Amino acid sequence: MPSSRRHFLQRAALGGAGLLLAPLAGLHSCAPGSSRSHIRGSMHGANHTTGHLLRDPAQLPAPTRTEVVDVLIVGGGVAGLTARRELERQGLRPEQVLLVELDEQPGGNSRAGRNAVSAYPWGAHYLPVPDPRNHELLAFLREAGVLTGTDAASGLPVYNEYYLCHDPEERLFLQGHWQNGLVPELGVPAAEKAQIARFFTLIDELRQTVGSDGRDAFRIPVEESSRDEQFRHLDSQPFANWLDEQGFTSPHLRWYLDYSCRDDYGATAAQVSAWAGLHYFAGRKGRAHNANGADVLTWPAGNGFLVEQLRQQAHSAIRTDTVAFALHQTPTGLAVDCYDVAARQTIRVTARQVIMATPLFITERLLAGLPAAARRPLPVHRAPWVVVNLTVEGLPQGPGQPLSWDNVLYGTDSVGYVDAGHQGLSLTDAGPRVVTWYRPLSAVSPDAARRQAYQTSYDDWVRQALAELETAHPGLTTQVLRADVWVWGHGMVAPTPGFVWGAARAAAAQPWQNQLFFAHTDLSGISIFEEGFYQGQRAARQVLAARGAGVS
Amino acid sequence: MDKAPVRRVRRTASGPSSAATTLPAAPPDYRPALLLGSVFVIATCGLIYELIAGTLASYLLGDSVMQFSTIIGAYLFSMGIGSWLSRYLGGSLLRWFIQLEILVGLVGGFSAPLLFLLFEHVSSFRLILYGLVGLTGILVGLEIPLLMRILENRFEFKDLVSRVFTFDYIGALLASLVFPLVLVPQLGLIRTSLLCGALNVVVAGVALYRFPETRPFRRTLGGALVASLLALTVAFGYAERLQAYTEGLAFQDQVIYTKTTPYQRLVLTKNQRELRLFLNGNLQFSSADEYRYHEALVHPAMQALPQARRVLVLGGGDGLAVRELLKYPQLQHIDLVDLDAGMTHLFQHNQMLLELNQRALLNPKVRVTNADAYQWVRQDTSRYDCIIVDFPDPGNYSIGKLYSVAFYRALEQRLAPGGWAVVQSTSPYVARRSFWCVAHTLEAAGFTTLPYHAYVPSFGEWGFILAGRNRHWRPDAGPLPPGLRYVTPATIRDMRFFPPDMNEVPTDVNQLNNQALVRYFEEDWGPYAH
Repeated sequence: MPSSRRHFLQRAALGGAGLLLAPLAGLHSCAPGSSRSHIRGSMHGANHTTGHLLRDPAQLPAPTRTEVVDVLIVGGGVAGLTARRELERQGLRPEQVLLVELDEQPGGNSRAGRNAVSAYPWGAHYLPVPDPRNHELLAFLREAGVLTGTDAASGLPVYNEYYLCHDPEERLFLQGHWQNGLVPELGVPAAEKAQIARFFTLIDELRQTVGSDGRDAFRIPVEESSRDEQFRHLDSQPFANWLDEQGFTSPHLRWYLDYSCRDDYGATAAQVSAWAGLHYFAGRKGRAHNANGADVLTWPAGNGFLVEQLRQQAHSAIRTDTVAFALHQTPTGLAVDCYDVAARQTIRVTARQVIMATPLFITERLLAGLPAAARRPLPVHRAPWVVVNLTVEGLPQGPGQPLSWDNVLYGTDSVGYVDAGHQGLSLTDAGPRVVTWYRPLSAVSPDAARRQAYQTSYDDWVRQALAELETAHPGLTTQVLRADVWVWGHGMVAPTPGFVWGAARAAAAQPWQNQLFFAHTDLSGISIFEEGFYQGQRAARQVLAARGAGVS
Repeated sequence: MDKAPVRRVRRTASGPSSAATTLPAAPPDYRPALLLGSVFVIATCGLIYELIAGTLASYLLGDSVMQFSTIIGAYLFSMGIGSWLSRYLGGSLLRWFIQLEILVGLVGGFSAPLLFLLFEHVSSFRLILYGLVGLTGILVGLEIPLLMRILENRFEFKDLVSRVFTFDYIGALLASLVFPLVLVPQLGLIRTSLLCGALNVVVAGVALYRFPETRPFRRTLGGALVASLLALTVAFGYAERLQAYTEGLAFQDQVIYTKTTPYQRLVLTKNQRELRLFLNGNLQFSSADEYRYHEALVHPAMQALPQARRVLVLGGGDGLAVRELLKYPQLQHIDLVDLDAGMTHLFQHNQMLLELNQRALLNPKVRVTNADAYQWVRQDTSRYDCIIVDFPDPGNYSIGKLYSVAFYRALEQRLAPGGWAVVQSTSPYVARRSFWCVAHTLEAAGFTTLPYHAYVPSFGEWGFILAGRNRHWRPDAGPLPPGLRYVTPATIRDMRFFPPDMNEVPTDVNQLNNQALVRYFEEDWGPYAH
């Protein structure tokens, strides 16, 4: 039968072509060439389908009922949760406060996940040992059991040893070897080492430097830093330019500084300001009786632990899966239309005061119905991130320092991975563990990167993560049990030149008519826990002041 | 390989049987020679099985003079039984002989691997050992009488006796020289045993294919023969790996037991004088002087606690500290927490080790828990009058956590009021900073400390730290149990004295977030690492 014979020939030809092309496909899929088909997992993400409802609020239903509260907090990240806690501490009753969060759980960038092996972070995962002058933060940490006492002799705080990052803390994969610490040392030429030493000497000086206004040149929170022009002018140029001017040209140093900026800001040294680049180092003034200034506090769930503590330290309602989508003025205050995703209905919440603890691009959409004076048109550079949580049976180790908390590969696009099991006390490293791999997508413009990120498939992300990690952990792919991917489309604020000390940022943080208050790290320009906490405290205090002054 | 002296009195006269046999007449010339050659091989192999059994027994059970003497006795006696039994063999003697050789090849050949394997699993190892020795002896005892009967019609009696025994004794001489000089050093016990087994099977093969009268049963016996040879060869291939594994160059003595557990690698070695346990290549104890270590670890704390009822032992899965504790009849309960079930199982089941720890871990007062000590201490809610902390040295970050302030704070929660904890704290001579770091870390956790040290020849100067909440401790507070070989009130007083080369030095406190101790330990021991 000719037709079937032709059919056979066609198939044979296809098969032959397949055989010929197969090696190429193998080559393409990933260098160490082991199959990923055994890996299970899925794609997660700050709920951008829910979030994107905000793009066309007109299609959401009209409110069917009304609720009344004293203070409504929109957004359940660190700033919103801190404001909620502070309002209660300052005397508001739980029923006077309501927090709405569009995601299925609060936490914002400090969200955490958990599987049978371990809890693990989806975003922020540590808090540097704080500046002991940050009394409010210390009070929170004391209440959370993170700070356990004060040393009588030195007066310095004593931290819970189980939460201080255990040694070995950091390692860098450089020249095929894991070295201790993240500052490149292995095989770095003497001239570069001298530059590195000069940079850190300068940082030590800047850490001690006080401006003409008596304030520290660099301090956390940003708001406490000196306004002295000699430091503020550093905000006008990119960090990379400043480094060039100062003769910091060592490729190893520049890699390290770039890594640091990407790690904390999601942006490169060329994208952030010199002030911000220096603040990253010189702003850290942590002191403790049982830790040094470079130490950090961390948990398997990352800052998900702190979020949970914030949540537990107050009792007012938190309504998740609830999208606040429009604000209106009423004779007594503000009305906020909130869409309940599960019930598919809209509730109008009227409140005397509203704290917008949302990123500014969300705030902008929500306030569209208010007068121009209420709005906060502050452009924010916001890089997308991808985070991959890998559940692995084991982690084949290369030569050098053993598995540490923070593990960074020199010269890669990612900022490395953290080991969720690091704070465990088990005697053995054997058995499954979860590692969290972070990659800021800072190479291109944020909008283009975001579009590209949304189009990248789960499989592609896993392939990219493993291709990188295989270089330091050959054979890792076969050990991966699960890979879960989270794409943060809107990541976090980057302190681009002019942002931190520009007039727009200061103006954006100002309350409006004693009714509308703003709390978010976007308003600090630096997205770290301390700033979120500071923003929440500040907004809560402004609300309380407004209530005390204007209402009674 | 320094072997035990093998004094050898070979073979009782196994009287030639008078039973007549019917072998076809006029065989070609070479066949008697072939059979005499077989005598030589058989004799060599027979003696080697005996040597293997004796060597293994002294490795595994200790006391080599005793073991060699009883093994030789049992073996020779079994040979006598075999010789006596030979009278009951009739019919085709050649067929019997070939079957016998295959059997000897299998039993003798697999004796060493079998004994090594069973040592770990069988509680009555001695029974298995002597059973196997007996069986091999009986089979070997059958060989010569049988051969003599086969050769009976080919030689005059005086020639027969003279030739057979000449080859027999030459074989014995060869065996006794080759075994310690070539075979054990080159092949190891397991492969030597398998090689001899294969030689016996080859003897069977030669007989089977060189004698025409074997034709009727060639097919059936040939199959068994090939299968046996194959089994021995496969085992030989495996043995090479196993042997290379067990007789690593790291150990100067004969390795008699190895096990890789999920947590560590246990290796027991043995020479005439002592038994040593290595954990991940580090000496854990030597049976020759472990009493010094364990007496020093346990008694200074226990003698101060005449009212003690409950004791916790962390680590110490060898049960040797528990052995010392059980000398205090007032104790009602001992909790032992060791991570490694492989370790505690070994010290609960192995004959030789049970003798060493005096069956301490099987005592009804003792509860053995295999758990991570850190988690266990944090989860447990009871209090102990005395806590013995006998962890491995802080050679890595995981173990370093068990020497941290945080751990000692958790430990303090488990200590009854007025109780004492004692911590093995590495060598104050070699690792002076490490030792004092442990002391300072205990102090940072709120303990009062009493450091002391003892000389343990296998280890050198070794350090311990008593830790309690008060200073009410005396070196002669209560009576010491009778029969101690090292610790007396005077010894305890002496142990408290630190000469200038071991005296206190300032150190950091070991915290989870600085692991100062692991770094000290690495630096202190670095110059001693090979």
